[in-house]
Amino acid sequence: MQKEMAYSFPDEVLKHVFSFIQSDKDRNAVSLVCKSWYEIERWCRRKVFIGNCYAVSPRMVIRRFPEVRSIELKGKPHFADFNLVPDGWGGYVLQWIAEMAGAYPWLGEIRLKRMVVTDESLELIAKSFKNFKVLVLFSCEGFSTDGLAAIAASCKNLRELDLRESEVDDLSGHWLAQFPETCTSLVSLNISCLGSDEVSFSALERLVDRCPNLRSLQLNRAVTLDKIANILRRAPQLVDFGTGNYAAELQPDVFSNLAGAFSSCKELKSLSGFWDVVPAYLPALYSICPRLTSLNLSYATIQSPDLIKLVSHCPRLQRLLVLDYVEDSGLEELASSCKDLQELRVFPSDPFGVEPNVSLTEQGLVAVSLGCPKLQSVLYFCRRMSNAALVTIAQNCPNLTRFRLCIIEPKTPDYLTLEPLDAGFGAIVEHCKDLRRLSLSGLLTDHVFEYIGTYGKKLEMLSVAFAGDSDLGLHHVLSGCESLRKLEIRDCPFGDKALLANAAKLETMRSLWMSSCAVSFGACKLLGQKMPKLNVEVIDETEPPDSRPESYPVDKLYIYRSVAGPRFDMPPFVWSMDEAVKILH
Amino acid sequence: MSEVDMAVIKPEMMKSYIWLQTADGSIQQVEQEVAMFCPMICHEVIQKGMGSSKNYAISLPQRVNPAMLSLILDYCRFHQVPGRSNKERKSFDEKFIRMDTKRLCELTSAADSLQLKPLVDLTSRALARIIEGKSPEEIREIFHLPDDLTEEEKLEPLKNTTDDPRIRLLNRLYAKKRKELKERQKLKNIEVEEERVDDRSVDDLLSFINGDNGDSKGIKNSKSKKKNRRRKDQQKNTSANEAIKNHNKEPNGLNQVCHSAEVGQKVRAGVGATSNLHDVKDDIFDNKNELDDGDIDDEIDPALKEKIDREVEDFARRLNSDWPERMQEILSFGHERKPVHFSLNGNGSLRRYANSEQR
Repeated sequence: MQKEMAYSFPDEVLKHVFSFIQSDKDRNAVSLVCKSWYEIERWCRRKVFIGNCYAVSPRMVIRRFPEVRSIELKGKPHFADFNLVPDGWGGYVLQWIAEMAGAYPWLGEIRLKRMVVTDESLELIAKSFKNFKVLVLFSCEGFSTDGLAAIAASCKNLRELDLRESEVDDLSGHWLAQFPETCTSLVSLNISCLGSDEVSFSALERLVDRCPNLRSLQLNRAVTLDKIANILRRAPQLVDFGTGNYAAELQPDVFSNLAGAFSSCKELKSLSGFWDVVPAYLPALYSICPRLTSLNLSYATIQSPDLIKLVSHCPRLQRLLVLDYVEDSGLEELASSCKDLQELRVFPSDPFGVEPNVSLTEQGLVAVSLGCPKLQSVLYFCRRMSNAALVTIAQNCPNLTRFRLCIIEPKTPDYLTLEPLDAGFGAIVEHCKDLRRLSLSGLLTDHVFEYIGTYGKKLEMLSVAFAGDSDLGLHHVLSGCESLRKLEIRDCPFGDKALLANAAKLETMRSLWMSSCAVSFGACKLLGQKMPKLNVEVIDETEPPDSRPESYPVDKLYIYRSVAGPRFDMPPFVWSMDEAVKILH
Repeated sequence: MSEVDMAVIKPEMMKSYIWLQTADGSIQQVEQEVAMFCPMICHEVIQKGMGSSKNYAISLPQRVNPAMLSLILDYCRFHQVPGRSNKERKSFDEKFIRMDTKRLCELTSAADSLQLKPLVDLTSRALARIIEGKSPEEIREIFHLPDDLTEEEKLEPLKNTTDDPRIRLLNRLYAKKRKELKERQKLKNIEVEEERVDDRSVDDLLSFINGDNGDSKGIKNSKSKKKNRRRKDQQKNTSANEAIKNHNKEPNGLNQVCHSAEVGQKVRAGVGATSNLHDVKDDIFDNKNELDDGDIDDEIDPALKEKIDREVEDFARRLNSDWPERMQEILSFGHERKPVHFSLNGNGSLRRYANSEQR
């Protein structure tokens, strides 16, 4: 009896305990403990994250979680960023919005990534949710400024509108003027993806003026440098600011105005934007550089000497995104100035060039690994790498959680020994015990996958291209990586055996993408048959996979677990391997 | 004027006590200012005039046993003193909350029944911290909860099934093969060959198990890694730098033009199955001793090695019995001659799904 009493609570108390548990992972764990916790938890779940919009249907989510206030959905697979997913593949949000409009009148937050959002969807959002506060459209497409106008006009208490990296049809710049004069609630506005004709600057200025809580503002490229000072003076409380164009003829009064405006922003910690930079204007930033923790210069074509100067003023920098113009010398400066650095991303300025246009090699990354002990996240494009460098990096940075290396030319070997880079990446997975995300490149054999399967126990996402020799490579990953959730593969000689032998593993993952590999149509069909909880989709834009022999490899394959069954919005070039689908016609 | 009122007005005259009775029948008296810190007790005293004497002791809810009452009163005794700083209070709370989970649960429950919100918050947060980061099984164990959910109710990932002994066995055999070939390599000093010989042997193993001719297809592509996210305004720009608008995506792929050009040029390198079948069979049955020291498996502890060795023996035995059939069940893509699943409509193109509006 005593035991029973000790561990049982009234529902209200348990609910109260749950209110302090907010992470999706923990809420999911709580809901699976037992029947009574499942019941209590589902009624007080306010936030739902759905990593694959096709893994579950809107109706199922609504049935299970009746009181949701915030939803996050992801649509297309990650490789859509590389044009590997044809247009029209899917990821439509309209059905979700329509169902939620009826079921969740108090829905306040919608966050979408890689989904197709139409103006109709936006209008429906504007009409249906009286308490709508947050709209984040990350890398979405399908809508125009008309849809944005509907949101602006109807959402009285909008706090956040973030359109980062989305594709928007520009029809009119006047949508910003649709924000009523009574709207003073904006905290975050990101319109950096909009084209030139899509923003009325005077409307923007008035909006910024009347929103005293605005903390984060990212302008689009069309906003010229001389206008920055105006905006900043209206919003000195900004914490995160994205400039537009940062280029103009150097004029002393413009410069001093700009410098003064920046220095009045005492809370500014994060900068981005910087299209078309004129280096002479960079010193205008010096007053805020000591406070900067995040700097995104990934569009800025400034050369190494100017970058070095800028970076040396930012000792508190934790996050730097930059083009490879930074060169090894710039990274060495970074390593000596920015001891708090946690995340580094170096993008290629000329990825299609055959010869290197800048002096950026593995040395830069090695220098950073040596000088920045807190480094956790790396995305690095370069043209050469060595096993020795990778081993050094691994030993210097055992706390890496994300390591994405992109050697631009496929199958590039270790430039010193001409060997595959298996040992180097092996060292990364072996030393970095908390590694969650890894992208491979260079010349790689099955051995690297053996290392990954052996050591990558916390690995959640793996991206592979032009690597491996045989099915064993894939087998090592599928059988060894216990935490694997997302696996994306292109142009590797992986076929049916590893996939079929590890079919059950696929149900423990979110998704698997394989394109230009060696998986046969027959194997896809078999998987679709045997694994009812998986959706096995074959993508082929040239001809139906059925018109060729079963042993012929499919072009693209996307497998994901789902409790919703096969989807019904597939375009002509996507075939479902599900048994049920065949019965229906 | 009640006794309680008098006590409030003339504190120097007498220290007032409130009488409380727990569910087990025991009665105790508690300093008034301490007890009144609990809203429930406060309510009983003021609204119902209870607690002034032993006969009129306030009956506390069942969830408050003497041990819990003692703890709660300790909490109240500290916090009811007005002059304390936030830092002091926080420090006290942190020490106070350190107790085993069972007591923490009891305390939460008790505090809730006395409506003592600050303590409910404190204990609830502590319980939340215990729960965070744990798996459902672990949570069940800690709180002694039943495992009564059905599979249907769990919209969650299935247990990771990579403990399959067949898969571990394949790993083991592969490791052994690799080791052998490395030794052979030292003698012959052929570098490139190793990879391919390796491949074929294991492929043979699998095809031997499978019963068919494993024809591994290697697709070789000389596509260079070129990537460019299509953006409509990229067409407006001509300079190379402009073209890389969205380069914070990894360009380890190729652009559409390259891709389509090479669609027709896929090379399938068939690796012929050489006749190493007998060697492989011998390996399994006779050379079990060598399985103990693969250079790949240096990390495997002896207990696991033994276990795997036993599995190999098991495998060998089963190989002679029903293994081929069972393996076929899993890898039977080559054997099953299933009819074509998709019907063709009139013009020969494939119908993919039920929705008849499309196409």
